[in-house]
Amino acid sequence: MRLARSRTPRTLTKRARLGLRARLTLTYALGAALLSAVLSVITFGLTRENMLTQREQSAMTQALQNASTVSDGLDPGVADTTTIEKTILASLPNPEGGLPVLRYEGQWYPGNALKFSDASIPAALIERVDAGQPARMRTRVGGDPFLVVGVPIQPRGAQYYEAVPLREMQRTLEGLAISLLGASILTTIAGGLVGFWAARRVFRPLLDVGRAADAIAGGRLDTRLPTGSDPDLDRLAKPFNEMAQALQDRIERDARFASEVSHELRSPLMTLAATIEVLENTREELPERARTALDLLSADVDRFQQLVEDLLEISRFDVGAIKLHLEDVLVAELVIQAVSVLGNGGVPVRYDDDVSDVVVRVDKRRFGRVLANLLDNAEKYAGGATAVTIDRVGSVVRIGVEDEGSGVPEEEREIIFDRFSRGSESGNRSLDSGVGLGLALVDEHVRLHGGRVWVEDRADGRPGARFIVELPIVDLAPQTETDLGESEGSEDLEVSR
Amino acid sequence: MGTRILAVEDDERIRTAVKMALEDEGWVVEEAESGEEALQAFARNPSDVVLIDIMLPGVDGFEVCRSIRRTSDVPIVMVTARADTHDVVAGLEAGADDYLTKPFAPKELSARIRALLRRVRTADPSVAHLKFGDLEIIPEEGVVLRDGKEVHLTKTEFRLLVELASSPGRVFSREVLLERVWGYGYFGDGRLVDVHIRRLRTKIEADPANPRHVVTVRGLGYKLQT
Repeated sequence: MRLARSRTPRTLTKRARLGLRARLTLTYALGAALLSAVLSVITFGLTRENMLTQREQSAMTQALQNASTVSDGLDPGVADTTTIEKTILASLPNPEGGLPVLRYEGQWYPGNALKFSDASIPAALIERVDAGQPARMRTRVGGDPFLVVGVPIQPRGAQYYEAVPLREMQRTLEGLAISLLGASILTTIAGGLVGFWAARRVFRPLLDVGRAADAIAGGRLDTRLPTGSDPDLDRLAKPFNEMAQALQDRIERDARFASEVSHELRSPLMTLAATIEVLENTREELPERARTALDLLSADVDRFQQLVEDLLEISRFDVGAIKLHLEDVLVAELVIQAVSVLGNGGVPVRYDDDVSDVVVRVDKRRFGRVLANLLDNAEKYAGGATAVTIDRVGSVVRIGVEDEGSGVPEEEREIIFDRFSRGSESGNRSLDSGVGLGLALVDEHVRLHGGRVWVEDRADGRPGARFIVELPIVDLAPQTETDLGESEGSEDLEVSR
Repeated sequence: MGTRILAVEDDERIRTAVKMALEDEGWVVEEAESGEEALQAFARNPSDVVLIDIMLPGVDGFEVCRSIRRTSDVPIVMVTARADTHDVVAGLEAGADDYLTKPFAPKELSARIRALLRRVRTADPSVAHLKFGDLEIIPEEGVVLRDGKEVHLTKTEFRLLVELASSPGRVFSREVLLERVWGYGYFGDGRLVDVHIRRLRTKIEADPANPRHVVTVRGLGYKLQT
């Protein structure tokens, strides 16, 4: 996965400030808000117009009727103030709460002076009624809306006015407005929800793409998107899969090449290993210079051999051709055996009682390599490991390899696990035999075992590094219940990463 | 005359170098550069041990192995290019007793051969004659009978069976069996045990898929059912 590491990655589009999903949701909500607002305004306007017209018409009819009643009552003889106010105006029917005012012979007679009097009648209306035309006008009295209708009573030279309160109607309209507002808000929210849902639906395949890309980046090169279920999505999935395939092909080609090279190197190495042994057998007969030469040859053939092995192993990682032979083993025994077998018998292994029954599922030989590489690393760079520790931490077990070297500086703690990195520090490192694949292999192996590895300072504060391998603990109890027949307590795991 | 090893290897330089190194270890080495040549040489004069490179032109290592197995229980060591491929299991199933990965140290090969040639321990008189149902083992004579008829086991299969029979009912872990039969330590390849057990079952069990004698104890190892 070191494709194009040197090149700066190209980004196809600029990133918007808001996320796509948020934008979609917002768009839907705004659309719903706009639509419902327009509908509400229209509904409100029409209803209001309707009610007003109706009101005005009924008020006009009533006023004309009342005017004619008043006209009849205005007999010249009877028409004194008291009669007009108490009898004629008071007896007028006003089903809608109309308040009459009569102007007769230049005198104003309010039916209910407290609520409505001539002072509240707009001058413009009076003018029009004086001109002999029935008219109506809306006005406000004491903050309340009224519709005032004026009817001239021609033969008597009088004018009849009637004020109809519009308060009820306004209340109704206010109620309607509140309902419409509520409905608009609900519609907006619903729109937003629909937008959110739609965005999620549209987004789900994109998230799948993201997950697939993540998986590929994580090394599972054979990850592909499903195709064929949706022609629209296929336009995304197909190029993606083609890209993944191209990537996989390319990586596999590289890895295969490395693997073939390593294979080709095995035959000459075999001859070298055997002839060196023949020479070693005659060591005593060799002159001093030849002996020194043989030692150099022997050491570097070993190193070469190791490098070829490591290269081969790492190319197997790259094509995902690692086959783990997993077994459940006691971690303490595993570590003790690894430390003793691998020529580092002098390193003490320390652990508490709670570790003694801890079981891990590992490929023993690969895990042996992990510890061997860590011990080698300590040997090369820190004068040898001083202790190997095993600690139980919850559901994981941590195996620590400590040394008394100069430690690993903070900024190098990640890159030392890269291939062929040897740490920038100290010139003496470049002189020695490290090939820089050891820790990379440790990292790959441990990850393959579902664990992780890192380096930190020594726990006791003394100078030196502490490499820690963390592995999940295997709970054997439920396993033994179900006998899986012929699986024999170990299993081969084809790892395709 | 010392122990004779037939080394089958097509690469001349490797063959010569390995022959020299093995001779230094005290073995008598005969060479064969192809499968055909190896089979002829073996038929003419069977060696004590056979070393076969799997990657041979023509008749490949597996075939050589199978052919020799038809007539002989000679210890066979397979040389493979890689330890983690199916080659190993296929080689073991073809009848190899052990395997090595190229490049190996000839000293290591010598150690392997010595382990394979080790004789069955017969010091314990209690394992002189063992009977388990239809199965009879006579370690002294190197004979296994099933229903009274002799079963042909390779030396390694026989030693594996005797090892299990030395404590009937006791569970032997792979590590223990690897150590006692092959002379490997903790990091030996457990597949050696698994494949040999499988092979053993096909010979001594009435129904190898449902073994009654050599049974698997999941997570622990194998035992011989009493």
